[in-house]
Amino acid sequence: MKLNILIGGKAGQGINKISEIVNKILVEYGYFTFNYRDYPSLIRGGHNFNILSVSDERVGSIESQLDGIVTMDENTIKVHKSELKKEGFVIDFEKFKGLGRNLNIALAGALIKILGIDEKLLIGEIKKEFNNPESISAAEKGFASQKEKFNLKKLNNKINIMSGTQAIAQGAINSKIDLYLAYPMTPATGVLHELAGLQKKYGVEVFQSENEVGAVNQALGASFTGTKTMVGTSGGGFDLMTEGLSFQGMSEIPLVVYLASRPGPGTGVPTYTSQADLDIALSGGHGEFPRVVIAPGDPIECIEKTNEAFYLAEKFGCLSIILSDKHLAESEFSSDRSPNKILAVNVDRKLPGQEIVKRSSYEHDKNWNTIEDSETTKSNAENRLKKYENIKKELKKFQMIKIFGNKNSKNLIIGWGSTKTVILDALDSIDNSIKKTGNYKFLQVIYMKPLSDEIEKEIIKSQKTGGKVILVENNVTGQLGRRIREKTGIKIPNRILKYDGRAFNSDELKKEILNIK
Amino acid sequence: MNPKDLSTKEPITWCPGCLNYMILESVKRAIAGSGLKQTDFAITTDIGCNSKIYDYLNLSGIYGLHGRSVATGVGIKLGNPKLKVLSFIGDGGNYNEGIAHFIHALRYNFDMTIIVHDNQSFSLTTGQPTATSQQGYVSKASPQGEKFKPLNPIKLALASNATFIARVNARDINHTAKVLEKAIKHKGCSFVEVIQDCLIFNKDMNNKDKMMYKIKDNKNKQVAEKLANEWDYNSKKGRIPIGVLYQEQELRR
Repeated sequence: MKLNILIGGKAGQGINKISEIVNKILVEYGYFTFNYRDYPSLIRGGHNFNILSVSDERVGSIESQLDGIVTMDENTIKVHKSELKKEGFVIDFEKFKGLGRNLNIALAGALIKILGIDEKLLIGEIKKEFNNPESISAAEKGFASQKEKFNLKKLNNKINIMSGTQAIAQGAINSKIDLYLAYPMTPATGVLHELAGLQKKYGVEVFQSENEVGAVNQALGASFTGTKTMVGTSGGGFDLMTEGLSFQGMSEIPLVVYLASRPGPGTGVPTYTSQADLDIALSGGHGEFPRVVIAPGDPIECIEKTNEAFYLAEKFGCLSIILSDKHLAESEFSSDRSPNKILAVNVDRKLPGQEIVKRSSYEHDKNWNTIEDSETTKSNAENRLKKYENIKKELKKFQMIKIFGNKNSKNLIIGWGSTKTVILDALDSIDNSIKKTGNYKFLQVIYMKPLSDEIEKEIIKSQKTGGKVILVENNVTGQLGRRIREKTGIKIPNRILKYDGRAFNSDELKKEILNIK
Repeated sequence: MNPKDLSTKEPITWCPGCLNYMILESVKRAIAGSGLKQTDFAITTDIGCNSKIYDYLNLSGIYGLHGRSVATGVGIKLGNPKLKVLSFIGDGGNYNEGIAHFIHALRYNFDMTIIVHDNQSFSLTTGQPTATSQQGYVSKASPQGEKFKPLNPIKLALASNATFIARVNARDINHTAKVLEKAIKHKGCSFVEVIQDCLIFNKDMNNKDKMMYKIKDNKNKQVAEKLANEWDYNSKKGRIPIGVLYQEQELRR
């Protein structure tokens, strides 16, 4: 069972509140949900919508055909009518005129009734959230206005909802982050807000820097003193930070960078999604120095991999980049899994204040004094290379890739980051392959740098048995494909690329996968 | 602590007779006179002749990127507020490349000291004009003469609500050391503009000693504004007040 319900209206009307209320109730009721958020770059007006996907099994994507539309304005039905299934329902805002700010609560109530969920759960949630008579009465009015359509039965799943943003913040908190620095930029801003809200609870300091160049240089200054530090930004801000990344490479001061990408170049399409910044994550910054680039694919991985990023940065004095995007950062995922055990991040180095400690952006001798001689220049370059080899060895401890589905199937899908959950949903609907019986397997690349040697083996295995190897990415040039080719010499023959600023829908992806002969 | 404890064995690569030797001595005396421990300090430096001081001071510190000394210093304060941070930077780094960090650091008013070696040119890159070079300055990058008027850093600092602004003459080691000591003791962000000759580039602006006169420590903002206007950085006319040009009485933060 799977439903896709669109909730649309103008920015500022509170469509997120509807999906939030319904989402919470559904999860309590034992259902898996996935909430996609679509909004243009404006504060009031325009057309925003969420699509809430509901299922009795794990779900991490939306479909293109809608089972229902909830409207908060006249425009919504005009824009989305063509996506509504024949038997689909519409909850019209016109029915609830005069409710003012409580319109969204009435619409949430109406939707709960259509789904066939008990009114008690609705009222309980509204009481928890608002606890005023007008809101409760609006919820009752909404509930009474509809007929039950789906009759959902209560399930026993224990489910949590989390966005990628919340999970990155959680991973940082788990690593005992001391300081987060950022300059506001969508879609990375969520982590700034999230950690700012947690400042008092966890004693984390949040600093909004004058610009991204300031943020990254301040981060290195702070980390030098033994403070566990992360900076966050999106593509344009990351461009500005690259001088600091290079400085990190020379100074070897631990640094964690959160990069949440959106479609570029330039200002691009700022509130939409893209996987086009893998190239700059891999190579931004002049000179040659080691780094780790990790791309989690869902909130649970965001928690785990952020922790690994902190661990590696501190252990090796290296640069750890966590690569996400708008779709992963701002969508709300449900999960019945819990993250791995937390890795302790220990600061085990000499600190200023206790002894004389020096770090430099210049090439330097072992005491960090400036040198320019050829011998030291050469051996320092080699030492940086050696460090990368040591990082690779350490990574044997961690999951650099994951393989889903039937391990013996010959067809191989390769993807990374936010495409993970939609690929899983698409394959599941093809032939239950996620249940390990189908004709496809999915290789999720998590460590983009270093790249796992297993990737090459998997591709060769699939090709030898006559299987199809298919690359899925949210960009126009297939950046992971190029990365794999650079590393292995293998050109992946089939590519499914989407670069319209939107994430894949699972039904469309399924069609595209099946179209590859 | 003795000023000599702050020396290192690194070979000094400044030009013979460079005023940076004198600034280095003033800094050592100020630090030794501060009553603090050697490990209480952390310095940040920029890229430029001034910033070679990183190698010559036996203190914790970061030899940062061009224009970013102040930002790196702010970061150290965020990381460990107990450290006494001295951020060294030149006029090019502070008033061109890193001007945003300077203005915001004054606004943040963390307890740190910004020391600007102002010789009115980019010297380590062979003499191009900076934001404080005089109009008409002929250099390899401005053969027809610099087109633009210079910025007055003292006025900029006042407009940025700096809580401590001083100007000193690099050649006057004793006075500079005393003013630096006051800057270090100031609870807030202190800014010390060091007027420094370069013996190789923009020599037209050298030898302003006769224009300089010492003032008593000033705590009045109107007076500070008048003092700031006495010299426009553009000519060798007018008088150049040196000393503590402004210190806020009621300390913020």
